[in-house]
Amino acid sequence: MADGIELARAASVAALATEGVYSMGRGRYVEPATYEGSEKVSGVVVTPEDLEIHIVARYPLPRPIPEIAETIREIVAPYAGGRKTIVLL
Amino acid sequence: MILLLAALFVLGVYVVIYAFDLFDYKLESLPITDFTKGVDNFVAGVEDGSLSTVTIIILVLLAILGLIWFIAELRPSAPRRVRMGSGTYVTRSVVEDEVSTVAEQVPDVLGSSVGVKAKRSPGAQVDLEARVRRGEDLGTIKSGLQSTVRERLSERGLPVSKLNVKLVEADPRQTKTRVQ
Repeated sequence: MADGIELARAASVAALATEGVYSMGRGRYVEPATYEGSEKVSGVVVTPEDLEIHIVARYPLPRPIPEIAETIREIVAPYAGGRKTIVLL
Repeated sequence: MILLLAALFVLGVYVVIYAFDLFDYKLESLPITDFTKGVDNFVAGVEDGSLSTVTIIILVLLAILGLIWFIAELRPSAPRRVRMGSGTYVTRSVVEDEVSTVAEQVPDVLGSSVGVKAKRSPGAQVDLEARVRRGEDLGTIKSGLQSTVRERLSERGLPVSKLNVKLVEADPRQTKTRVQ
């Protein structure tokens, strides 16, 4: 189980390696990100209860959105430490 | 908003100064005696129960309005994102863009505008307004458009709880595309 920035980093790598993901989401008004020291991981927000992963999907979609989200969730699950994983497209 | 807060702060400072007679500023020196007398008379009227019918009606209406407002404030605000299933959300613009793209691929549709409302339950409420030529068979276009949009969104995995389609007859010279 990873924590904080490590978890954010792992989630970001897992999300970007998933088929159908173009990039990490940067938000329209507020950038979702995890900070620690001088490091920042964009597109992932880690809280004690949740792990939010913001992504931008590739268009046209290679497969349905729920499948993309499920794949990300499965890859991230071992690191999440029981947190609820929320995928935002 | 900042200006409003600044104004309220300044007003608060003045109220404190006048209320505690600081720096020789006294509440009695303010030209509000007519106003305070009016308020006094009104409150005395309320206590005596000697208000006019119109005043009573206005007060009752204000109370009802306040109650309605209070109940409206208690309702939780609508979610910003469209819930797809357990722990997956999409922004409303994703649904809007997809519906708009699909609608404008339908041969009879010359242009469209889409509104998406996120629901607390999975799925979004989609309000699609499609512009078509005058004299077209609106019933056939509407059912075809509804089924096409539902089918495409289902392929993408985007849930729609309610799809409202409205067809508007328009002049092709004023629409996004003249010919499909």
